[in-house]
Amino acid sequence: MNAKYRRLFITIVIILTLGLATKLILMALEDNIVYFYSPNDLIEKFGDTKNIQNKIRIGGLVLESSIKKEGKKTIFMITDRKKEVKVLFKGPLPDLFREGQGIVAEGMFQNNNFIASEVLAKHDENYMPPEVADALKKNNVWKGNSD
Amino acid sequence: MIPELGHILVIITFVISTMQCFYWLYNLRYTNIDVLRVLQKGSFINFLFIFLSFLILTYSFITSDFSLLIVSNNSHTLKPLIYKISGVWGNHEGSLLLWVLILSAFTFFVSFKDSINSKLLASIIGVQTVILSLFLAFILFTSNPFERVDEIPLDGRGLNPLLQDPGLALHPPMLYIGYVGLSVSFSFAVAALITGEINKDWARQMRPWIAIAWSALTIGIALGSWWAYYELGWGGWWFWDPVENASFMPWLVATALLHCVRILEKKLIFINWTILLSILAFSFSLLGTFIVRSGLLTSVHAFASDPSRGVFILIILGISIGVPLILYTIKSSSFNEEKSNFDIVSKESAILVNNLFLTTATLTVLIGTLYPLFLDAINGNKVSIGPAYYNATFAPIMAPVVFLMAIAPFLNWKKYTDKNFIKKIIFLSAVTFLGGILLYLIEEKSIFALICGSLSIWLFTGVITDLISKIREAKVKLQNIKQIFFFISKINLGIHVAHIGVAIFLAGVTGEQFYKSEYNVIKKVGDIINIGTKSLKFDKIENIDGPNYNSLMATFTLYENNKFISKLRPEKRFYTNEKSQTTEAAILSDFWGDTYLVLGEGDNKTGWSLRIYSNPLVSWIWAGAFFMAVGGILSVIQKSSRFRND
Repeated sequence: MNAKYRRLFITIVIILTLGLATKLILMALEDNIVYFYSPNDLIEKFGDTKNIQNKIRIGGLVLESSIKKEGKKTIFMITDRKKEVKVLFKGPLPDLFREGQGIVAEGMFQNNNFIASEVLAKHDENYMPPEVADALKKNNVWKGNSD
Repeated sequence: MIPELGHILVIITFVISTMQCFYWLYNLRYTNIDVLRVLQKGSFINFLFIFLSFLILTYSFITSDFSLLIVSNNSHTLKPLIYKISGVWGNHEGSLLLWVLILSAFTFFVSFKDSINSKLLASIIGVQTVILSLFLAFILFTSNPFERVDEIPLDGRGLNPLLQDPGLALHPPMLYIGYVGLSVSFSFAVAALITGEINKDWARQMRPWIAIAWSALTIGIALGSWWAYYELGWGGWWFWDPVENASFMPWLVATALLHCVRILEKKLIFINWTILLSILAFSFSLLGTFIVRSGLLTSVHAFASDPSRGVFILIILGISIGVPLILYTIKSSSFNEEKSNFDIVSKESAILVNNLFLTTATLTVLIGTLYPLFLDAINGNKVSIGPAYYNATFAPIMAPVVFLMAIAPFLNWKKYTDKNFIKKIIFLSAVTFLGGILLYLIEEKSIFALICGSLSIWLFTGVITDLISKIREAKVKLQNIKQIFFFISKINLGIHVAHIGVAIFLAGVTGEQFYKSEYNVIKKVGDIINIGTKSLKFDKIENIDGPNYNSLMATFTLYENNKFISKLRPEKRFYTNEKSQTTEAAILSDFWGDTYLVLGEGDNKTGWSLRIYSNPLVSWIWAGAFFMAVGGILSVIQKSSRFRND
């Protein structure tokens, strides 16, 4: 094939592929991003949890003596020492889930209850998820060493 | 005294390698065989000294010399020997020394390849030595592994229990061989930009190094994934975690490079693109190393970070990525390409499409990894990007790659001549169609399951078809080793093995992603749990002492159709010294899949919460990766045997 036409052909293929990829990326970024909030940010930003439709992440500490178990369901409060959010979670909790531990819960609001689909805690007890550490620092309740 | 010797060896190597860099640059215009000999000797000394220094550090870990800061922070007398050794690279300072050791080893091995043009070789050693020297400076000024403590503690603080695992002991070295191995092709590219000369031999000499690095990287990533699967207790094997992505991006670029360089071996076209990919592959390795280590992205991989290192890291990245890219913009237009008019349906085109899609896929991963950091910097919004993003971007871009992977090997270089091409495609389509129907009949799942499974069948059939027709064409006898090697070289067996690996991997992905089932139950001792045709009997639960942990261990008996299969023993381990807890899943693997059992919280009165996964074909994922790596290594053997036969 003529070199000129080949070059044109290659260019068109590259542009089409990159265009399609850009489209895919933009669509995916719009739909699949999960925002993170501390309980206080959440209430400041949205006021009522009814306004929240998307999947979000909430991070903070597990409030002391708030953990209740009902069969497979666990109910607990996440706090940033200013506000609390009640979380319902069905399923296995991570190894280091305990009172006062920094955790992140991912899920959606249903009738003012946060139904978590995943609860994340890190594997090292001295370790705090960075988002949680930031949120606690903002509320001046961070007691850990500075990173 | 011994650790000081290790430290002094690093200092001496830093001095020698820096002098070597200046020697190389000073003689750049007048490189002759004498200059090359000096550089070769230098790289031998560098390798020897770093190796000794690494041995000394390992010795300090084995003998639990807690006067060393990193030993006391990361080791413990009660730790089993293998984890004392793996503790050497289980921390920031030690892992950097390992990085440098591998770099000096690669430099040493490549420096004695006298078959490479001596001017080019001198520059390759030169570039490698510049990187070595930068990293040695980084170690000496910010991350000295031989730092002493003022007060020697009675015992060490131990290693994170999650990292005390045989699979993980090997994961960092393999990954580093991959990362650092890519420095060789990087140096080939930069040396070509410096000398301004490029020919087919350049590409031929470079390819085995890419293949070795790529194979090691494949194994390294697979080991990490395997570890995550059995150790983290979630039954998943890939989480699109930023740290995983950091190792996956250089792999994708290296894969593109490995294919692209084959065009250049045949004809001098796409020179600039090959050079750019070589530079990018190693740049992604460097980014990977530092993204992980910097604590910018958080995970089990992030070691405690120190801000003073950040500036240094930026300087190293700036020099090792920036300078070559500037050189590239200046010099890349000076290469003369051969004239070539290959058909649209030819191997060249197929490889171009492969490269286009692989780099685009890398871009989607890069954006997914960096976008949260970017958004945080712009407006402080904290976001996370999970598997859903990658399923919507990465997967659709990779599907055509797999589609082409099956049929591209049928094609010839330059011209579309194979009359059987259409016939083969019809055959593939028929087999895939039947396979798809079978898959649908076994169990109806989503359309994506069907696509993923069919692609695996398509690829598998494609590789086998190609192999059979190549064997027919080759017409060789297989009576002794020499003939077998000749045969391997004749039909490029490495390619077939690697591609079969991808097909196996995809089959595993299909099983794990779409056909797995999960059960969450609360059971007491004596209860029986039914999962499909299998049943689990809860025998007992007891406390057991391990070498450096206490374990709560449950025992189950697995029956299939009332026939005894095996005992399963999931555990919860409490590492008293590290004050942490891990979950050890009990996994029973066979050819067709895994039964994966995790012990949760509970007590004997209310029962124990249990999680059971049935993961069909999951081990095919790692078997596939293993085949890919073997294919990569075969292509190196194949190459050397081909040269002998030429």
